[in-house]
Amino acid sequence: MKKRSIALLLSMTLMVSALTGCGASTSATTETPATETPAASETETAATDTTVTDTASTEKVDMSGTTITFWHAMGGVNGEALDYLINKFNTDNKFGITVDAQYQGDYDETINKLKSAQLGNMGADLVQIYDIGTRFMIDSGWIVPMQELIDADGYDVSQIEPNIAAYYTVSNELYSMPFNSSTPIMYYNKDMFDKAGVTEIPASLPEIAAVADDLTSKGGAGEAISLGIYGWFFEQFGCKQGLSYVDNGNGREDVATAVEFDSNGAALNTLTEWKNLADAGVAPNVGRGGDSGLADFSAGKSAMTLGSTASLKQILEEVNGKFEVGTAYFPSVSEGDKGGVSIGGGSLWALNNEDDVKKAATWEFVKFLVSAESQAYWNAQTGYFPVTTAAHDESVFKENIAKYPQFETAINQLHDSAPEYAGALLSVFPEARQIVETEIENMINGQTTPEEAVAKMAGDINASIEDYNLLNS
Amino acid sequence: MKKEKSNIKKMRIEPYMFLIPSFLVFGVFLFFPFFKTIYLSLYKTNKMGQAKLFVGLDNYTTLFKSASFYNSLLVTLIFVAIVVIGSMALGLVTAMLCNKTFPGIRFFSTAFALPMAIASSSAAMIFKIMLHPSVGIINKLLGTSINWVHDPKYALVCVALLTAWLNSGINFLYFSAGLSNIDETIYERASVDGANGVQQFFRLTLPGLAPIMFYTLVVNIIQAFQSFGQVKILTEGGPGESTNLIVYSIYRDAFFNYRFGSAAAQSVILFIIIMVLTLVMFRIERKGVKY
Repeated sequence: MKKRSIALLLSMTLMVSALTGCGASTSATTETPATETPAASETETAATDTTVTDTASTEKVDMSGTTITFWHAMGGVNGEALDYLINKFNTDNKFGITVDAQYQGDYDETINKLKSAQLGNMGADLVQIYDIGTRFMIDSGWIVPMQELIDADGYDVSQIEPNIAAYYTVSNELYSMPFNSSTPIMYYNKDMFDKAGVTEIPASLPEIAAVADDLTSKGGAGEAISLGIYGWFFEQFGCKQGLSYVDNGNGREDVATAVEFDSNGAALNTLTEWKNLADAGVAPNVGRGGDSGLADFSAGKSAMTLGSTASLKQILEEVNGKFEVGTAYFPSVSEGDKGGVSIGGGSLWALNNEDDVKKAATWEFVKFLVSAESQAYWNAQTGYFPVTTAAHDESVFKENIAKYPQFETAINQLHDSAPEYAGALLSVFPEARQIVETEIENMINGQTTPEEAVAKMAGDINASIEDYNLLNS
Repeated sequence: MKKEKSNIKKMRIEPYMFLIPSFLVFGVFLFFPFFKTIYLSLYKTNKMGQAKLFVGLDNYTTLFKSASFYNSLLVTLIFVAIVVIGSMALGLVTAMLCNKTFPGIRFFSTAFALPMAIASSSAAMIFKIMLHPSVGIINKLLGTSINWVHDPKYALVCVALLTAWLNSGINFLYFSAGLSNIDETIYERASVDGANGVQQFFRLTLPGLAPIMFYTLVVNIIQAFQSFGQVKILTEGGPGESTNLIVYSIYRDAFFNYRFGSAAAQSVILFIIIMVLTLVMFRIERKGVKY
């Protein structure tokens, strides 16, 4: 009997921990906020009042000995390149500013940590946030719009690539400084194409289907294209059709209230073609996420893959000369599509910590990161776009493009696009992307038709938008 | 007489003082979050996870109307069944094998207990590579080209088997301890009476293990319900929602969608399920297990 009661006690404790595993963290994030919300709105108004006077004196502020905290999401090779730039700034800058860079994990983790940290108002001065966090950041009330710092310093914004700046510009204000921007492109195995006798590189999904047979039978490919199930690709297929993702001018004129991809047909067109490719075995299910198609391509199994321009270097390293890697524009959904591509990647957000010295120091650091020299180095090391057009004149950039001519495709594709295809802004984008990926996965696995998938996506995302707008207005 | 009684009562306060430190710890880390979770489950939260709008039982009714939630429950039940049966069977078999002494037993018993020491996420990372459709060793060995973790037919089974293996280490330990508690002489007597191995196993070993078996079962069920790292790394709840276990769905709602209300409601439901299951098992145990 005694043993029994001990066992009962033990298992009860375990059970309670089932509940607290979640509860503990929720309470951590919900405890402090009560004090934060009014403070945030106060600082917001304070910021607009004072900026004219305080940032105008950027030049005169004594910044020596100032340490600013920079949160970023760059690991691996990209992280090393960023560390190099930060070290360079720390040793070379004439203001005596020290940047304390902290790697916060991937993009999702960075924004989630920021949400928790901001409750206690102890976060960073500058933070790198992914493209789809833009609307959230604008609405957050935690930030100083980059435009304020730009205006105060008289910085010439036309140096920034217009098609990149367009993404982060809302009502003519540049909210964050683009830093690491990429677009998706199509990578193809030139050797396989030559062997199969395919000379015309497919520019749309039906064209991919048309050459698939030749590539597998004559070219020796295991599959024509390894197409990862990635929400970003779904969004890009919409941009290529020139159709909106959400209402209110794609979420740029006002806060989006519902998706539009269901009513304007963008999603159905995309999914129908995608399903055709999957059913015909042209694009088998290689899994979820942006990198899931790369392994098959690098291993020489698939003849094509879609991926970010920022993956170019990794792909070339993994292929290591086994075959020649070609690059082409991101395919359109059907042949007549007239849209362009939108960018992805991250940008730099200045956070409002009510400290003018730190704000000035942050701006100096941002200016350094987007300078032509830094951007040329950054581009050569990572494959992200140089966000500053002047970087194209740097010798580092010229050498790099001579070495990797494939990168030219990405630049041309970006220049061929236009600001109106900048893509949507949506507060619940991270969740929307997950919903889209889940439904595409269900559709490819034969559980739903494209029509059902679109309806489910729209229903789920709309419910989420409605909730968000209700609770955060 | 009356005075004496009150004296005794006064004396009895002291032992409770000794309990205060442990109750403080439990209070801060168990009871407070416990009630906070129940509180949150009655609210909708804003983008930072603060309780914003009181909705009563709305979070619960929404859950009970959602196909995705029922799917989570179903998937979790299948998962728990595979994990518990698999890990207990594996633990029992390995413990039986190591019950006799033979050269190299230390190596084997270490190997069988090792899963206990492996973090679920690192095991999941390794399995992810092993299960990769084009470069993974499992497809190479079997000569197949199955997309293990991205095919809804196999994904759940893969995650469940990995978890079963991970949990089998501690079961091996429990069962080994249980086996060494069984008196060796009863086996001798049984074999003199002409009982064969199978009979000995079912008539002597299993009844002898019953108490420890019961405890292991309860702990295993609770543990299986709470599996998380494997799902997060191996499948992220996919493909579709075929591995969207309830704990993973709580994580998604809370820390990805910042919808703490719904996540808290799911936690409460999970708590109730596990509590009911445990109480039922203790009821059954009263009849079945003899100490």
